[in-house]
Amino acid sequence: MPSHMLLRGQLLAATVMLGLSSTLAMAQQQPCIGNSAATTGPAAFGGAAIKMGAEIAIDEINAKGGVLGKKLSFVQYDDAGAPPRGVDNTRRIALADKCVAILGGYHSTVAVAQAEPVNEIGIPYVGVLAANTKAIENGANPNYMFRVSAKDKWVARFLVEQALKASKTGKVAFFYENTGWGNGALPDVKDAMAKAGKELVATETFNWNDQDMSPQVIRARDAGADVVLFWALDREGNQILRSMDKVGYKPTIIGAWGIAGNLGELAGPLADGVEVIQTYTFMGDMDPKKKALWEKLQAKYGLKQPSDVKMPSGVANAYDAVYIIAAAIEKAGAFDWKKVHDALYTVNLDGLVAEYKPAFDAKDPERQDAILPKYYKLTVWVDGKLLPIEQTKYGKTN
Amino acid sequence: MSTFIQYTLSGLAIGGIYALVALGFHIMWTAAKAVNFAHGDTLMIGAVLAVLGVDAGLPLWLACLLGVAAGALFGILLERFAVRPFTGGTTSIGWMLTTIAVGIMIESLATMQFGGFSRPLPSPGVEKAVHIMGAGIYPQELLIPLVAILAMVGLKFMQKHTLVGRAMQAVAHDKRAAALMGINVNRIVAFSFGLAALFGAAAGILVAPVIQVSATMGTLLGLKGFAVAIIGGITSAPGVVIAGLLFGVMEKFVEGYISTAAREIIGFSSMILVLLVFPQGLFGKREVLKV
Repeated sequence: MPSHMLLRGQLLAATVMLGLSSTLAMAQQQPCIGNSAATTGPAAFGGAAIKMGAEIAIDEINAKGGVLGKKLSFVQYDDAGAPPRGVDNTRRIALADKCVAILGGYHSTVAVAQAEPVNEIGIPYVGVLAANTKAIENGANPNYMFRVSAKDKWVARFLVEQALKASKTGKVAFFYENTGWGNGALPDVKDAMAKAGKELVATETFNWNDQDMSPQVIRARDAGADVVLFWALDREGNQILRSMDKVGYKPTIIGAWGIAGNLGELAGPLADGVEVIQTYTFMGDMDPKKKALWEKLQAKYGLKQPSDVKMPSGVANAYDAVYIIAAAIEKAGAFDWKKVHDALYTVNLDGLVAEYKPAFDAKDPERQDAILPKYYKLTVWVDGKLLPIEQTKYGKTN
Repeated sequence: MSTFIQYTLSGLAIGGIYALVALGFHIMWTAAKAVNFAHGDTLMIGAVLAVLGVDAGLPLWLACLLGVAAGALFGILLERFAVRPFTGGTTSIGWMLTTIAVGIMIESLATMQFGGFSRPLPSPGVEKAVHIMGAGIYPQELLIPLVAILAMVGLKFMQKHTLVGRAMQAVAHDKRAAALMGINVNRIVAFSFGLAALFGAAAGILVAPVIQVSATMGTLLGLKGFAVAIIGGITSAPGVVIAGLLFGVMEKFVEGYISTAAREIIGFSSMILVLLVFPQGLFGKREVLKV
């Protein structure tokens, strides 16, 4: 019996100790920013873009003395696009590394899975690529999920607006990949069309690695669509373009940013005139601010030309996100999750992608997203390069 | 009418790819009663190496040739180290698992080296579509089913009229008897795996301009090619080629007249159905196992 009592006492003591140490941990967050993203696998370029943007912003901030007198650091873990690994990384960043904030990655499925542990732990999360609407608009209150990136709901509205502007007949078709990203966008696009009092004349889906899209293309053609919206990645985008070429169908094409990678290389002249939404690009003429950032990227990562940056939106979003987090820490006056979360709603900043005034709005659940649709940019493929549309012949006819 | 022709032609192009992959499975099976489940990845190896060769400044034909040679070498090595040690046992689990494992490893390695993006392989065959009765198709796509049929005829010829071809058939029929007749069984099996992989790598290069080159390009093709080989009857070369072409055309018609989403459901259901009715595949010969 006494031995049992002893055991119970030890257990109790251990529990109390554990409880104490965890509250202690809560109070002492470290001046680091974590990130879970795909750094291997097919979307590794997404993780690379985030790393570049975040590291350059942190270098700049540290060169000016850091935040609250402390130097910031960046820690990135690979989730390879797998939601369970993203959740694991989130806990590791919050509970082991005790970082003050966490940046999101490339995959929407991972971001959706991270929402629950992020809100449970209460660590500020700022998404910088994945655009899924529900990941950030998840209904939690308080909501620790923020985003400095495009949001599918707004992208859909923006693209539909562009499509109806470009369409002569008002007939728009929608091609989307059969994945979480593509299927998630379908209701957003339908809603946006309905708001304009229109309906899609064709909704066509396809799988990754599909080689031929002629049935889908024929249906869209026969439905009379003169504008086609793409929710596709480069490889499948190219297959759709080639099938269109084969059946002699030449609609205006406007796409979400999945076709901002190497569509120009894959499709050659067929890609000319295909429009893509982005939040940022290094292509075309650079203003002094962009030029300065590009030179830093060149020096630090040995890049040769602006087209070497495969996901420029990711670089700029991560860069802005780090500055917004740093400003929030300054305002909060402490490396404390709760205080930083509250301060994020008060940050005003003139960033690369947008003027954030303020970055987020606590009163509007839609405004956990910092980049408003008016800052979305249309770029267009010309001769294998993705240029800002206003700098090309395609911009002048619009 | 033009839509009908379009689906038929597009289907033949896709079916030609399945047929070429299935022929590889046929070659391996008839010699070794085992196959390489990483066969889809031999397509990828050929195509990826061809693109890397072009990147390195080699002329296109040389890059393609090197890709094919590397594919054949891969097949021989794989047979030696991942298949042969496991074919002696009573079950097939060993070589199934090892070849699948090798496939996953090769694919991961290719993703690391080649990156996540698809890359084009230049070819004059995809520069401009030709039009046949209102349907459009690239010349390269027309080439694929033709090559599949030619390859099948060539293979038949080799099996009937050359020493090595007859030896392959002898080994397939009875390994021990073939060995007693003085045939080096191991060498014949290695040869047939090498030949199948050579076929696979060449097929990969042939289809690359149409489907683009990426680390994952072979996965689904390998699976569908195997399904087609089973449907056609893996022991019959004309059987797998016909089944491949038909399967491709059927897919396009399902996509066209039902829906894209229904394609895999109908495709694989029909495979199960065929197997229920024809356990040896549509054109396969019944294999009698003597105990």
